[in-house]
Amino acid sequence: MEDVIYNFQEQTWHLSAHRAIFWQEEQALIVSDLHLGKSTHFRKAGIPVPANIGQDDLYRLQLLITAYNPVQVIIVGDMFHSSENNDVPYFKLWRQQFAHISFKLVKGNHDILGAHLYEAMNVEVYDTLSIRAIHFVHEPCDSSDGYTFSGHLHPGIAVAGAGRQRLRLPCFYFGRNCSILPAFGMFTGLAMLEPEEDEAVFVIAENTVLKVN
Amino acid sequence: MKNKARGWQVITEWLAAHDRQPFVFQEEAWEHYIQGRSGLVNAPTGYGKTFSLFLGSVIDWINQHPKDYKQKTKNGLQMLWITPLRALAKDIARAMIEVLEELDMPWQVGIRSGDTPVSTRQQQKKQMPEILIITPESLHLLLGQKDYPKVFTTLTTVVADEWHELLGSKRGVMVELGLSRLRGLAKGRAPLRVWGISATIGNLDEALDVLLGKPDPTAVIVRARLDKQIELQSILPDEIEKYPWAGHLGTKLLPKALPIILNSKTTLIFTNVRSQTEIWYHEILRQCPELAGAIALHHGSIDMELRVWVEDALHEGILKAVVCTSSLDLGVDFRPVDTVIQVGSPKGVARFLQRAGRSGHQPGAVSKIWFLPTHSLELVEAAALKAAMKEQLVESRMPVLLAFDVLIQYLMTLGISDGFHGAEIWEEITGTFCFRDMTEEEWQWTLSFLTTGGEALYSYDEFKKLEREDDFYICRSRQLALRHRLHIGTIVSDAMLKVKFISGGFIGVIEEGFIARLQPGDAFSLAGHTLEFVMIKDMTALVRKSKAKRAIIPSWMGGRLPLSANLGSVLRRTFSEAMSGNTTEPELKILQPLFNLQENLSHVPKDDELLVEKINTQDGFHLFVYPFEGRLVHEVMATLLAYRISKRQPITFSIAMNDYGFELLSDQEIPVTDEDVHELFSLENLSTDLQTSVNATEMARRKFRDIAVIAGLIFQGYPGKHKANRHLQSSASLLFNVFRDYDPQNLLLRQAFSEAFFYQMEEARLRESLERIYNNKIIITEPAQLTPFCFPIKVDSLRESLTSEKLADRIKKMRPQF
Repeated sequence: MEDVIYNFQEQTWHLSAHRAIFWQEEQALIVSDLHLGKSTHFRKAGIPVPANIGQDDLYRLQLLITAYNPVQVIIVGDMFHSSENNDVPYFKLWRQQFAHISFKLVKGNHDILGAHLYEAMNVEVYDTLSIRAIHFVHEPCDSSDGYTFSGHLHPGIAVAGAGRQRLRLPCFYFGRNCSILPAFGMFTGLAMLEPEEDEAVFVIAENTVLKVN
Repeated sequence: MKNKARGWQVITEWLAAHDRQPFVFQEEAWEHYIQGRSGLVNAPTGYGKTFSLFLGSVIDWINQHPKDYKQKTKNGLQMLWITPLRALAKDIARAMIEVLEELDMPWQVGIRSGDTPVSTRQQQKKQMPEILIITPESLHLLLGQKDYPKVFTTLTTVVADEWHELLGSKRGVMVELGLSRLRGLAKGRAPLRVWGISATIGNLDEALDVLLGKPDPTAVIVRARLDKQIELQSILPDEIEKYPWAGHLGTKLLPKALPIILNSKTTLIFTNVRSQTEIWYHEILRQCPELAGAIALHHGSIDMELRVWVEDALHEGILKAVVCTSSLDLGVDFRPVDTVIQVGSPKGVARFLQRAGRSGHQPGAVSKIWFLPTHSLELVEAAALKAAMKEQLVESRMPVLLAFDVLIQYLMTLGISDGFHGAEIWEEITGTFCFRDMTEEEWQWTLSFLTTGGEALYSYDEFKKLEREDDFYICRSRQLALRHRLHIGTIVSDAMLKVKFISGGFIGVIEEGFIARLQPGDAFSLAGHTLEFVMIKDMTALVRKSKAKRAIIPSWMGGRLPLSANLGSVLRRTFSEAMSGNTTEPELKILQPLFNLQENLSHVPKDDELLVEKINTQDGFHLFVYPFEGRLVHEVMATLLAYRISKRQPITFSIAMNDYGFELLSDQEIPVTDEDVHELFSLENLSTDLQTSVNATEMARRKFRDIAVIAGLIFQGYPGKHKANRHLQSSASLLFNVFRDYDPQNLLLRQAFSEAFFYQMEEARLRESLERIYNNKIIITEPAQLTPFCFPIKVDSLRESLTSEKLADRIKKMRPQF
């Protein structure tokens, strides 16, 4: 599996082209904005988007877990897109194959399922989560102490070159105080970022991760 | 027989009492109408085309009820009059009511459009007027009501007014589908009479075929054969050397246009895009403040109420000038208008004729139109237009084929009213021009898309839309029905946001993409106001009044029409004529210095030549090519050329184009020489080269936006109830990606690609022009500086790119851009 290793905050981060980060020191796979159940939610409302997007996303997560063999999966918010639907029991089944791995969800604005459901899915729910001075918060914010990992925005970046070329790609963003993960779910859009000169940005171009800033 | 019938007598007597005589074509139409035939009336505006059919129905009615036609009321709906614009409905109703009153006939004339108040609708439900003037969208809304067939039991005639305008659009498809249902409902009765009214277009016969659906040997085309005299005069800059080479505003010439406005009763100023109307409106007020209150704006993004006010004011003659876009193109008969000014190229002969016809409405009067160029070269177009008008080279309107998005919307409409039987509707639909080639397989896909969401049923699925009971399909969810009802009519889409004052008060609509680029506090201009953007809330942009001196003018991309093939070919001829030195056209004479400069720096191409310019600037290496085939063809041709060059060596291009030519720009020298330039235009391997070169995906993505909205994939929310539905919002671009990756066989996706090839790439026209160029002489020049020809292209910002380098290699050469 193709990834780029980025040493930052004295830790080792593997940035995967599958829109996830593997934190080597903590053996943690970090993803954000899965929006599971989104296509099902749309279909329930009579909007015929393809049904299997969520299952495909879980399949990619499965590949990542198999590749990195983490002890924990940290989800930085927006795990499920909306209210309960048939993707919840599907996840429950899927989850069983990784019973030994803990799933930690840092609540995002979309995470509106009842507490009993998370319990039933064996997912620990946190408002914020801190490990080794790294804070996990769904919505990007500048905290005064330590460093924050967040999601929420579905960050993308426009790159331009000579001859007035332009491309829009999903990206990992590492700001001064806060990093933003790309949205993991494929049924998500992009919000364009405008990073400062000294902030690192890695774009995901097809199967590769490239540093552009 | 015709003069003996009672109805004919009543009408001719009524006309005689007003010192009027029917036109020959009107009598002809009445005759066919009385015989129960269908057909098409071809007549210019201002010559009583409405009366050719409306009076036909009156005559027919009096013939059938000679004794009691003055007493008979509540006769049920007799005639549906479909009009593309709500603004036209009022106008037509006014004219009809006037006649009916004078004839002492108690017929009612009703209007049904998005603006019809609920009380009137309910009244209409109880008792339909004899004549109902309706938009295509409102017709579909009627078909979406429970027990709708009852409304149409007495219907004898459907008229599609301004059919040339509807033809070639998806609203035309809505009319075709509506007609197919009405014909189905009329089974067992006398067949429906279906009539169209159309201005002159290149394919009138086909226009009739589309209206009829199935061939009808008795159907006729009635031609008015009234040639309207049109006189074109250009507003010329005093010193051509100082007039800009590029640009699209034309306000520099306003001082020369002002006296024309001031000396006229009422002037219509046509611009090509909505942003331009805003700029012109402000600029007129700035240069001539005493016109405040006497000038107005009219374009498609302005609040309906304001538009209606402008139209009424035009009727009453209280406005001195109105700056407008194609929103006033259609046949509204504003008698006080005596002057028309066209700012910039009208892009086509038909459009120009239509706009010119806005003035001088009295039969026999000369329509005068002023042409105001926005940059110097555009003056050539004025000369070309004169030639094209003389030769009657009017464009065709291509009917839309297999619009599955509209079909899906229509089937859902039938589903929310009484439901439908698959076999019956299949027969009706395949009797339309649009869907006559639809396969059984495509029909089954469409039905399953609506019932199972396009997936084979499996245990996890919760899809809900239409329910299937054997061959009967119906929507049983009230919530979905309500949502669909709100959704019909959003056929002209683009993601538009409403613009409202924060203190309340609706101003208009604006493209989402424009608002997205604004920061709170930025000032922009809409409907003549300068507004400060505050925030977006519930799909509405909230604003307050601004005192800012400089405001951003929104751009509405939709308005940019490409040059038509007809005008393009005349234009090429005009250029070679201009260089011949013996032209008498004032536009070409004044341009002589510019032509001389072009000739000195490079070359002015003759009719059988193609000019290619290679120029180096600090931006990189430019290759300019001038086929004069319109922006769309240029976009594809440029990409094709870029691709063929990039096969010679790895190279990346960015591409720009306008209606005259296109530019390839690269960071390395472009390898094209006299020896190998011809093969770039070869028809050999064209199909494969096109498939690989053209960014069909991007083009299709753009087309998909409308398709997704029409087919009901984009959830737009209920009025005033947005919060609960936030989880259902997505963009068309995201849906496009999702379909492409997960459901590539989706018909809507395929429709997006075929629309891209047909409309965006104009594949047929591209082939023709490549063939022409291949047989032409190709002249490559290497000017030391930018030429008058290339300048407008260079400053055009619409850009595409093509590359033969790997994505990763490209990104390594790029920098983040904000």
